[in-house]
Amino acid sequence: MADSTTTATNPVDDDSELKRSITGRLLFFYTLGDVLGSGIYVLIGLVAAAVGGAFWIAFALGVTVAAITGAAYAELVTKYPRAAGASLYVNQAFGSRPLTFLITVSFLAASMAASGSLATGFASYFAELWSGPPALLVSLVFVALLVVVNYIGITESVVINMVMTFVEAAGLVIVMVIGIVFIVQGNADFGVLTQIDTGGDYSSPALAVLAGISFSFFAMTGFENTVNVAEETIEPYKAFPRSLVGGMLVAGLVYVLVSMAAALTVPTDTLAESDAALLEVVKAGILPFSTDLMATIFSIIALVAITNTTLVTIVTQPRILYGMAREDVVPGIFAKIHPVRRSPWVGLLFSGVVVGLLLVIGTLVTEAGGGIDLVGRLATVTVVLLLAIYALVIVSCLKLRGQDEHEEIFRANTPLLVLGLVGNLAILGFTVYDDPHSLIWCAGLLGVGLVLFLAEHFFGSRGTGARTPDLEGA
Amino acid sequence: MHVIVATDGSRQSLAAAKHLTSFADPAKITDVSVVAVIRPLASVAFADDLSEGTWPAAGSFREAAESAVETIAAVFDGWGPTVHKRIRSGSAANEIIKAAQQYDAGLVVVAAGGRGLSDSVLVGSTAQRVQHYAPCPVLVVRPKPRKPRKA
Repeated sequence: MADSTTTATNPVDDDSELKRSITGRLLFFYTLGDVLGSGIYVLIGLVAAAVGGAFWIAFALGVTVAAITGAAYAELVTKYPRAAGASLYVNQAFGSRPLTFLITVSFLAASMAASGSLATGFASYFAELWSGPPALLVSLVFVALLVVVNYIGITESVVINMVMTFVEAAGLVIVMVIGIVFIVQGNADFGVLTQIDTGGDYSSPALAVLAGISFSFFAMTGFENTVNVAEETIEPYKAFPRSLVGGMLVAGLVYVLVSMAAALTVPTDTLAESDAALLEVVKAGILPFSTDLMATIFSIIALVAITNTTLVTIVTQPRILYGMAREDVVPGIFAKIHPVRRSPWVGLLFSGVVVGLLLVIGTLVTEAGGGIDLVGRLATVTVVLLLAIYALVIVSCLKLRGQDEHEEIFRANTPLLVLGLVGNLAILGFTVYDDPHSLIWCAGLLGVGLVLFLAEHFFGSRGTGARTPDLEGA
Repeated sequence: MHVIVATDGSRQSLAAAKHLTSFADPAKITDVSVVAVIRPLASVAFADDLSEGTWPAAGSFREAAESAVETIAAVFDGWGPTVHKRIRSGSAANEIIKAAQQYDAGLVVVAAGGRGLSDSVLVGSTAQRVQHYAPCPVLVVRPKPRKPRKA
């Protein structure tokens, strides 16, 4: 509270034990829930297709790079405990407004693409329960519902958050249990785990694994949203390193075990062709329960997992818009707060509409024969944008060494950070090389930010963001 | 008597604080606690629509809450009772109720911002929950009926 605006003569009363509400444990589950839901339910099929039976290696390497990036975040968040995250760190390190704007808009775009990918994944699992409505409709209704839920404020419940994370983990535990039962039954062929498929799109094993890391990397993202609660975390110096790095390592372990279980129990081809690949593991009928029942339960768990992660992305978008509106970078309307609900309803609605458009356009392009499916496409867009941000965050972390230091700050290992930087750039390079079309999508999403900026620049009035919003009948 | 004046950073909460001073007897009130609650998992954890001044560059919601509390506390300057400024973190209604218990409050003052559909259709507004579960009397200050807007 050193930088508190309160004057020394009139301090805010000290209820220190009540001041902050996010404990280290909550933060850990928040990280874990955010990471686990994004991807493994959605993307495991794509990764299996790229690598072959040994696709667990891709998850292991990907999560290592992400955990190192998490360490850089942990160092920076203990230095600058604010919700703004990457854009704040880059601003501190480079002090360049255009660069800060680019990073903020990139992060917003990544978050929107992630919501789109997750919503499409939601529709795939939903189709297992009820295949009546078209996937596009399901994903649009899903996004609309989350916008409403966020508007009402149900998402703010820490308890609901915890429960969803447990449900999410339970789904992955089911997959692991199936794997263990399968091994105990003596049916497992461990040779699968070392098979790298070089007959497909990628001629060398290294390329195939790199492709796998690139496709699986979406499953590693989400940890950066943890800084959302930075200001409200008790003892952030201890809590952030533990939950960011620890959470990623636990997530990594879960991913590796789940991918091994999936590879052992289901032929790689079947995984590769499935829209809801982990469901194939449950459908393999290894546990002595009705396959239909298990498949239903598992689908519901997957839906909860995806919902949990999507909620966090949909909470983040209006927050970014709010911050930018207050700084006069985008139109002031995004700083409008609903008088009763206290939610930034314009930003929320806008985010919902952009994600909806993304889903509609994506579906049309895919139906017109635009290559890979929508889940993968939007996941790739997210990954491209986030990898660039992650790389810059690591650079900022190194550049800010020696500034704003004090004893309690967590210090990430420097050689590891350099390794993480190289890792992020390698995956970024490969992703762009492998799928150059993703850049068009990135540019399109960044264009949304540019349009908002120009709208404020030409039509907005200076200083409105910082000024108190107009009084509406109060 | 200890009175809790809750603020969510809205204009209406400022109106509520002023309303209290318009009729209450400061001689019977020993303490006023101005309480703001930051909601860590919300999109905007705290929005200060009250205070003039600039948005902190780092986007600190805690600073926004502090400035809102300052603005509300200023209403009670020179009124009599000792003024405490308190910032809590968590769910708004829960924290206000907990504060009322903890400080052994004799009255909680909250604003009810809505007069429209969203307040009556969607259950669970903060003011409603505080009314239901507070350990002491609750003053809910509602907005005046809408008047034609002045130019």
